[in-house]
Amino acid sequence: MKRPGPLFTLLAGLLLGLFMLSLNATTGSEAVSSTPKKKPPTAAASPAPTKTTTPPSPSPSRVSVPDASYAGRTDDDSSAVAVTVRDRKAIAYFCDGRAKESWLKGDVKDDGSMRLTGKNGDVLNGTLKEGKRISGTADVGGGHYGFTADKAKKPGGLYRATATVRGAKVDGGWIVLPGGKQVGIVTRDGDPQAAPVIDPETGAVTVDGQQLTARPATP
Amino acid sequence: MTVDPNAATQGFPSPEPVRPRAGAARYLVPALVAAAVAVALGVYGRVHDPAGTAFNIAGFSSTSAVKSWLATTAFFFALVQLVSALMVYGKLPGPRWASKLHRWSGRIAFLVAVPVAVHCLYALGYQTYETRVLWHSILGCFFFGVFSAKMLLLRSERLPGWLLPLVGGLVFTALTLIWLTSALWFFRTFGVTT
Repeated sequence: MKRPGPLFTLLAGLLLGLFMLSLNATTGSEAVSSTPKKKPPTAAASPAPTKTTTPPSPSPSRVSVPDASYAGRTDDDSSAVAVTVRDRKAIAYFCDGRAKESWLKGDVKDDGSMRLTGKNGDVLNGTLKEGKRISGTADVGGGHYGFTADKAKKPGGLYRATATVRGAKVDGGWIVLPGGKQVGIVTRDGDPQAAPVIDPETGAVTVDGQQLTARPATP
Repeated sequence: MTVDPNAATQGFPSPEPVRPRAGAARYLVPALVAAAVAVALGVYGRVHDPAGTAFNIAGFSSTSAVKSWLATTAFFFALVQLVSALMVYGKLPGPRWASKLHRWSGRIAFLVAVPVAVHCLYALGYQTYETRVLWHSILGCFFFGVFSAKMLLLRSERLPGWLLPLVGGLVFTALTLIWLTSALWFFRTFGVTT
């Protein structure tokens, strides 16, 4: 037990790591929203350096609605549902991974409930429970589905990419479920098909030979 | 004649039985530390809520680009490690300062790799959604474990001759695979950008 050099090396690495971690925890707080996109600071964003998932002291009348994404499946397991909440506005995506999809939007009410509407009379009614999950029903394309969507950790959530590839309007939506499984549809000029897999870390996806970037969808 | 009860008696048998235990500790301590480091990193990455993002360095387009270049720097010094190690062991002709080169290139490689790992664990966590990502997560934790073992082993003397090259080789292999599954993938997917 003689040479102290290797120990100093390990110690230096440990200190550097802890230093970087504290730097991340303090300076990273404003960018801590789970989207890379810049957004104005919200009332819901807590100034605490550590990211707490529990909202601070919810009052009985007005439920705190943290900015977050939720992803899950319908009760019959046929489709996936994801909801992203920002500033008490919500966007939802319903997708069966083959042909049926719907984008829905709306506001989150004070009691944590939401009624989101989409094209062709599609409706999603949901309630945010304990800031952990949204459950409710979705009426999409003539079907009636119950669903539960749990709060999604990165890279889980809702992604969207729109572009024009060789003259065709391409609109892709992806739900990355807890555990990493993806459900997505790419619509080319109104023709929906199963989507290729995106890289959830970067959003990179190749559609018809064209490299696109799917971004976290926000209301 | 009386016998002095306090007279010095014959000493206990020389501390021979302690030797093997100390010998085993030379291997056991590094192995246990390595396991603890690897498991701790993995558990932290798995359990804590990935922040998704962390601070960036000016001049780079994304944290992924920063990490890719830092990782590439670490990998470059790892290659220096391999060459200088062969020099130290006399397998390659080398200068007299080869061991110094080995020590310092290793330190730099390690210290450059630490911020990358911090970002990985803080922002992304331990993930398994793809084969590439799974292996990267496993090897990332393994690397810092086996590196700790290597550092601790260096403090012992009279190790079997094959042990340090073996552990060093593991460190090098792990770092290479980590680089292949991250930085090389990044450069191939997004181009060699800053």
